[in-house]
Amino acid sequence: MMPLSLTARISLYFAAAACMVLLATGYFLAHVVESHFEEGDRHELNGKRELIQNLFKQARNPTEIAQLPQQLHDALVGHHGLEVTVTDASGTPWFSTPGTTFPGTLQITCPEQSLDCRDAALQQWQQAGVDYRGMTVPLTAGNGQTYTLTLGLDIERHEIFMDTFRIVLAIAIALAALATAGLGWVITRWGLAPLRQVTTMVSGISAEHLADRLSDDHLPTELKPLATAFNAMLARLDDSFRRLTEFSSNIAHELRTPISNLMTQTQVALSSARDKDAYKEILYSSLEEYERMAQMVGDMLYLAQTDNGLLKPGMAQVHLAEETQGLFDYFEAWAEERSVSLILTGTAIAPGDRLMLRRALSNLISNAIRHTPPGHAVHVSLGNTDDRATVAVENPGPDIPAEHLPRLFERFYRVDPSRQRKGDGAGLGLAIVKAIVEAHGGSISVTSANQTTRFQLSLRTHTT
Amino acid sequence: MLIRPKHVTMKLLIVEDEPKTGDYLKQGLTEAGFVTDLARDGWEGLELAKAGHYDLMILDVMLPGLNGWQVLEGVRRSGIEMPVLFLTARDQVEDRVKGLELGADDYLVKPFAFAELLARVRSLVRRGHSSLEATVLKAADLELDLLRRRATRANQKIDLTAKEFALLELFLRRQGEVLPRSLIASQVWDMNFDSDTNVIDVAVRRLRIKIDEGFELKLIHTVRGMGYVLETGTDGTTA
Repeated sequence: MMPLSLTARISLYFAAAACMVLLATGYFLAHVVESHFEEGDRHELNGKRELIQNLFKQARNPTEIAQLPQQLHDALVGHHGLEVTVTDASGTPWFSTPGTTFPGTLQITCPEQSLDCRDAALQQWQQAGVDYRGMTVPLTAGNGQTYTLTLGLDIERHEIFMDTFRIVLAIAIALAALATAGLGWVITRWGLAPLRQVTTMVSGISAEHLADRLSDDHLPTELKPLATAFNAMLARLDDSFRRLTEFSSNIAHELRTPISNLMTQTQVALSSARDKDAYKEILYSSLEEYERMAQMVGDMLYLAQTDNGLLKPGMAQVHLAEETQGLFDYFEAWAEERSVSLILTGTAIAPGDRLMLRRALSNLISNAIRHTPPGHAVHVSLGNTDDRATVAVENPGPDIPAEHLPRLFERFYRVDPSRQRKGDGAGLGLAIVKAIVEAHGGSISVTSANQTTRFQLSLRTHTT
Repeated sequence: MLIRPKHVTMKLLIVEDEPKTGDYLKQGLTEAGFVTDLARDGWEGLELAKAGHYDLMILDVMLPGLNGWQVLEGVRRSGIEMPVLFLTARDQVEDRVKGLELGADDYLVKPFAFAELLARVRSLVRRGHSSLEATVLKAADLELDLLRRRATRANQKIDLTAKEFALLELFLRRQGEVLPRSLIASQVWDMNFDSDTNVIDVAVRRLRIKIDEGFELKLIHTVRGMGYVLETGTDGTTA
């Protein structure tokens, strides 16, 4: 199911909220009107009750009592809608307004302690299709005889009014809800305008314009974090995209030279007849070129896997001093031939993948040996702080100009572009070191000053 | 030009669908003295493996029909215990683990050097046929006493460092075989990745000075584009 649009959603919520508020208000209003009617009725009923009670109280002898019905009749003339019955102590009807028969089930609701039954509970009943509200109270004549008085007020007109009132109210509520929904829609459209503005800005950003950023100057506070997050994502995308583009062009460039060499060489070789040794020589030369390319492809694969987290470092406690010593053994002969000595100080233990860390150390050490002038030493110092293992690989040599330092870890980056074909590898060694260190959650930095170049690794010792 | 091993002829089965790779593997291994059969897909490979008595199977992972894992499972289910060497283009740890779990004996990631393949194949076929461990290794007048850690040539003692001793031991154990640099680095220094340095060349050169200098018969030879070999004959191996 398609999710509802924000505008529709908010309009609906508005309408629902308005409905609830209006319904409650309507219910309250209806109640107030009802009570008002009831109060009016009580007032009228009480007035007649007092009148009748007085008439009875003044009748002290049978003559006066015999005159009561006429007096009652006179008193009630002109009061349409008010009907009265009086029964004597035995329950026999004694007086009633013409045409009146009330149900016999009506009980006296006058509270015991009340003297004049002012607060008798009102009762409501239906007789011959007419709604009545009334009260039943005791009546005492002047001669001490007791009667029961029932007063009933025709409330049909109230009911008709209330029905109309309810219908009008319901219609008003429905219209108000619709109006609120409509207004809600307008307000929401209006309120969400900044969102559409952001959408327009975002849709304008394509692969060619990854450097564009959303400006959050005119955005409401709620949207600022979105813009910031989006900008951060753009920055990462831009970076990856730039690196990818650079990487592909690098690969193309790096492979173009050896492939063109191989092609030319083979074409020249085939252009005239040669002896066996010459062919052999050409094949050997090709083989060397192939090996270089194979190593480069292998390194790039390794780098891609490490960078993309495909190569997950295994977690073991790696004794960096042992690994460094092992690497010194390996490089010993080569370093000696170059009159470079190797010095190790300190120890460190870091959790990680032994093979990967060893490869990183190996690249750093071979890089250092290669750039150390004869008669000097490569110095590897290890250390453990609270939550870090540090490795510093230091070699004397000409300073690397500052502008090259941050780019040293980029793939195929060479300080001196002319060095690329002199057996210094493909320029991936330091990129591999960086990828391995970052796969371990560590960091790497390089400084070069005062004739000393120093690579500094920092590895986490607490795995999180 | 490659050295034929002196022991009995070994039968190899190659299962490889890539036409050029298959042909070159067959040619190279045949010229190295093995009897080889080539299957072009998984089904054919499994059939041949069950029918013929092979000493080793070289199995590509990506194959039409059955893939390499399925062929290996079929072979092992038939109770055939010959060593299996996997060739995989997918340079992923999971692949290696899977292959070894299924009972592969070794794996090689494409692209590989032929010398490396040859060295691995020889290690694997030797595994089932090795004689009792010798304590003294010999080549011509060179002797290496493994127990006393002593090396002599023409009865003259040669001083070797620990790593040089290990390197010479490797050469002597695998006399006549061309050892690629990567194999030497892995066997002697436990370095299982390619280094862009000429460390191995320097180490071999130093060893060579110690054992060959001043002798008419040179023992350690460079095989150009492949690696190094220790041999006593002179049949044009050196280039």
